[in-house]
Amino acid sequence: MGNFDLLMHGFAIAITPMHLMLMVGGVLMGLVVGVLPGLGAPNGVSLLIPLTFALDPTSAIILLSSMYWGALFGGSTTSILFNIPGEPSSVATTFDGYPMARSGQSTRALTLAFMSAGIGALIGVVVITLLAGWASKFAMRFGAPEYFAVYFLAFAAFIGMGSAAPMKTLVSLTTGLLLASVGMDTVTGEIRLTFGLNELLSGISFLVVVIGLFGIGELLSTVQEGLRFRGVASKIDLRDVLKTMAELPRYWATTIRSGLVGIWMGITPGGPTAASFMSYGIARQASRKGEPFGTGRPEGIVAPETADHSAGSCAMLPMLALGVPSSATAAVMMGGLMIWGLTPGPMLFATKPDFVWGLIASMYVSNLIGVILVLATVPMFAALLRIPFTIIGPMIVVICFVGGYTVSNSSFDLWLVLVFGLVGYLFTKLNYPLAPLVLAMVLGHKAENAFHQSMILSDGSLAIFFSNTLVASIMAIGIALLVLPKTLQLGSRLRRRVPVE
Amino acid sequence: MTVRRFHAEIGTAIATGALGVAAIIGASELGYGWEGHGPQAGYFPFYVGLILIGASLWNLVGAVLRHREAMARVRAALEIEEPFLQREHLGRIGTFLAAMAGFVIGTVTLGVYVSSLAYIAWSAWRQGGYRLWVALAIGAGFSVVQYVIFEVIFRIPLLKGPIEPLLGIY
Repeated sequence: MGNFDLLMHGFAIAITPMHLMLMVGGVLMGLVVGVLPGLGAPNGVSLLIPLTFALDPTSAIILLSSMYWGALFGGSTTSILFNIPGEPSSVATTFDGYPMARSGQSTRALTLAFMSAGIGALIGVVVITLLAGWASKFAMRFGAPEYFAVYFLAFAAFIGMGSAAPMKTLVSLTTGLLLASVGMDTVTGEIRLTFGLNELLSGISFLVVVIGLFGIGELLSTVQEGLRFRGVASKIDLRDVLKTMAELPRYWATTIRSGLVGIWMGITPGGPTAASFMSYGIARQASRKGEPFGTGRPEGIVAPETADHSAGSCAMLPMLALGVPSSATAAVMMGGLMIWGLTPGPMLFATKPDFVWGLIASMYVSNLIGVILVLATVPMFAALLRIPFTIIGPMIVVICFVGGYTVSNSSFDLWLVLVFGLVGYLFTKLNYPLAPLVLAMVLGHKAENAFHQSMILSDGSLAIFFSNTLVASIMAIGIALLVLPKTLQLGSRLRRRVPVE
Repeated sequence: MTVRRFHAEIGTAIATGALGVAAIIGASELGYGWEGHGPQAGYFPFYVGLILIGASLWNLVGAVLRHREAMARVRAALEIEEPFLQREHLGRIGTFLAAMAGFVIGTVTLGVYVSSLAYIAWSAWRQGGYRLWVALAIGAGFSVVQYVIFEVIFRIPLLKGPIEPLLGIY
């Protein structure tokens, strides 16, 4: 049980007064970010990264990941109380959460959501604990071609498995790759794609892009909708909390099923949003007779929340072990890791066990803290949404721009935030997915380097990507993920003779 | 004026395609072929740019086809093509964007503290319907909190303009 010893060692690192404080602080900040429109997990984490430069990497990642859990909890809170998903991944929670809250059972709805979220996260962390050692050993066998194949797999999975039109995903992905290649090329040392602009010499920071895309972009959508909050009373009654907890074991089948969906979508680059929708859909299909979904069915809350959180925590595994994040937030955190001077990938487990296992242990603790804190503070955070948008909106704008500025103290970045805000708004409105763009920006250099090195190894022959069983099977899975899902869909559509949309 | 989804789709596809073209031009200046020991610096961006152009064209054609279909349905008086931005939305977005751009220009010239005070106060006053002094107080309060968090606690200097030195803040 090497993993178990390492985990215990991790707990020793995670449970110090300083780290517990960071967890509480991170979860609270995450709740604010999750509750407020325009601030979500990816750009909340981006905004925080410049402030973590003073911390050591272990403390920094504990702070960031705690913020992520907080944001996930916060997102569910607004979904249930206001019918406004604070996070894209909590959209599915609104379907049954809001109706249940409206019918006067808001405590029950919130408790169901938070408890299944906590259980989901726990399932995810247990999976990480069990697989971490194995995954890193597996990844030790990787050379440049294998790495490129893994990046290819990640990109392919986004295109094939994403809910958006494949060509739109491809546009988003390649745009990210191009943005990543601006500035100094690390392999050849040449200056690329700056078009004579000195500001672009050091490249475009993905943090600035994330803040623009997710922060300003989401705010613009909110403004367009003309924000009307129709909140439900949000007092938490402890007796109802306990009663709901006693009710939880009844949904064991839904919980297990959703946990599995979450694990799968978290490890492959499906991400929490896809996981929550998929899990909701499966729960609806599998449900026995009763009141229909969409009217406040408890399973309709348990399913998306469990999947959302187990996917969210499982997304950390490929990020740490392979250096391939499977959600936008994980991508941002990985970018943070690189800024702190750590290289995500199998070597991280060998060289920085304190960091890896401290993080994994902290995930157990901070999720527990998260469930307790969120139950205790829901009324307070729900009150944030009662602040008129004409005040809170501009404040969020200022926070986003200031956050963009602090990344590298450059006023050019302010304009970039503005431009990417518009891009984010347009892309969201037109169903271009944003996560692939972020992923490609973070992975762009690594993918290009891996490709470059493989090409040098093989003297320019693409056959190197099929030269041994390991790399060939990764490539084969990648190609299958790229081609199969949409082909199958098309096939079944043709069979049913439904016109293609 | 109403912006139709069709216009937005076409505009976006053209813009992403143009980005691809720009990448190809930039990459071909660097060389996208092979040197003795491997691909040249422009190799990767060149081919990524090509893929981007292809995908943008696909989206462009797709949007045109969908538009035709929708127009056919409009002619058959079945339904109206989905609007992308109604006039009312456009006005709201326009005001918000203009204020935001004003804030950025203000930040670059006057510094972030003065600019955010003005921006938040303006929004609360003109759009929120607060009295002017209340709005100014909200803005000032925000700027002070911002100053304390960034400059005092985290020691990260933000952009300052000509006014802060007059108050003795550097």
